Amino acid sequence: MSQSEYPAGSIQPWIMGTAGLVFPGAGHLLLGNWVRALVLGGAVWVCFIAGLAMGGHLFSITGSEQGLANLLQVPPTIANLGSGLLYFVCWLLGVGLADDPVHAARATYEYGNTFLLIAGLLNYLAMLDAFDIAAGRKP
Amino acid sequence: MRHFLVMTAFAFIAAAVFGTVARDSTADRFRYGLKIFGEFMLIGLALSWLLYFLPI
Repeated sequence: MSQSEYPAGSIQPWIMGTAGLVFPGAGHLLLGNWVRALVLGGAVWVCFIAGLAMGGHLFSITGSEQGLANLLQVPPTIANLGSGLLYFVCWLLGVGLADDPVHAARATYEYGNTFLLIAGLLNYLAMLDAFDIAAGRKP
Repeated sequence: MRHFLVMTAFAFIAAAVFGTVARDSTADRFRYGLKIFGEFMLIGLALSWLLYFLPI
């Protein structure tokens, strides 16, 4: 599908952006841009899986913390939510969300956290890229 | 060695995404991705040397 086919004000860019956010790589895949889907989606998937494999922790707002500590959970949770379906699958399976001292003691725990955060943030970039291409702002 | 490999993997992934979304032509994307990768690696190594001399 050509990227400039959609008229101004079309809902298509929003669909592509949402698809990319929900399932990393899907936005570009729907646009027919296989290479970008593979590079961007692949990077997010690899980053996320590597983060989990390193024992990283997925953040969530549980409300169980005291005072301002709850607010400190908000930015990393927003970053983690950028992974879309990957985050929710982990949430449903109970993987990576528990505060586990055994995981936290691993040498790669902080690396894992960083990879999981970056996977979400990179997917936000990929989502915006899919939106811009569908809106005809980028070739 | 493990730290260096993780840093390299991180730099590669981030550079791949930045390079893909930031430029228009394939050659420009490749060049920009390489530049970002090199910058991540150089800054990471420079910071690690700086922090090495700091007492904990």
